[in-house]
Amino acid sequence: MTCPDVAELLDGFVDAELPGPMLLAVARHAAACPACDGAVRELTGLHEVVERVGRADGEALDLTGVWPAVAAGMARADARRAWGRRLRAAPLWGVALAAAAAAVFWLRASEPPRTRIAARPNQAIIERLDSGGARFELRRERKNGTTLIMVSGEGDEAPE
Amino acid sequence: MNPLPLGLGVAAAALSLVGLASLGRALDVQITTVQASTHGPSDAQLLGLRPRLRRLVGYRSFRVVGQERRSCTWRSSEAFVIPGGRALYVVPKAMRDETVVMQVRLLDGPRSLVDTDVRLQNRGVMLFGVEKDTRADEGALIIMLRAEE
Repeated sequence: MTCPDVAELLDGFVDAELPGPMLLAVARHAAACPACDGAVRELTGLHEVVERVGRADGEALDLTGVWPAVAAGMARADARRAWGRRLRAAPLWGVALAAAAAAVFWLRASEPPRTRIAARPNQAIIERLDSGGARFELRRERKNGTTLIMVSGEGDEAPE
Repeated sequence: MNPLPLGLGVAAAALSLVGLASLGRALDVQITTVQASTHGPSDAQLLGLRPRLRRLVGYRSFRVVGQERRSCTWRSSEAFVIPGGRALYVVPKAMRDETVVMQVRLLDGPRSLVDTDVRLQNRGVMLFGVEKDTRADEGALIIMLRAEE
């Protein structure tokens, strides 16, 4: 294991995503190489800072607007109930017509905004996996979402 | 002449044409088989992929040992011969939200190594690996599957 090898594997090492023997190899090299040891410590420190900032942001979250919004929602619900009482007094055909129009309007207005999460170019979702008794491992690369299903060379006889 | 039956006939014909057009759009599947080993050079065509392969598979050398590209019919099984007596069966099932829904089976002779239902991003690549390949001295066999509608 050389310094350029460690540099390439640094991200995976800090995130503990490398296979066991490779984690060990990087750790051994870093223990004997001050430059690589420094790089590992720097990246680990960076991860900790990012984590701390995330936690601080969460704690600093302003929730003062929540209760006024809840109160406004309750007021709207009360108003709807009042409309219900008024509708009960109206003629049947008028109520049906108004209800149909309101339903169409409501269905259109209440459609949730579609938030489209950008999928990674190689993203794969495994819906079912049967390795026929063979040992397998699922590995995923973060940047492109590339998925690898690694199996040992032994499995069951395939059904006819 | 009553225009209603004529209109219905035209609509049915149009719908049939749309249906036929969508059935005719096959799935383009490309299978690249790569031998991964601990030592040795890597093929030039894999140099761009090498860092990603290294991170995922953990080997240093990658050489293409087989490549095949084929148009697959929806809902029918297509067999790809993998070097070393293995076979990869792909059944493209549907397109859903820009992903290809398919069943993939990897067989080693009569033995089933992997049987999976997967949703792969259109034009995306996924990998199947067979570790400790007994047919090679060492290393692993990596099968790269790319699907494009």
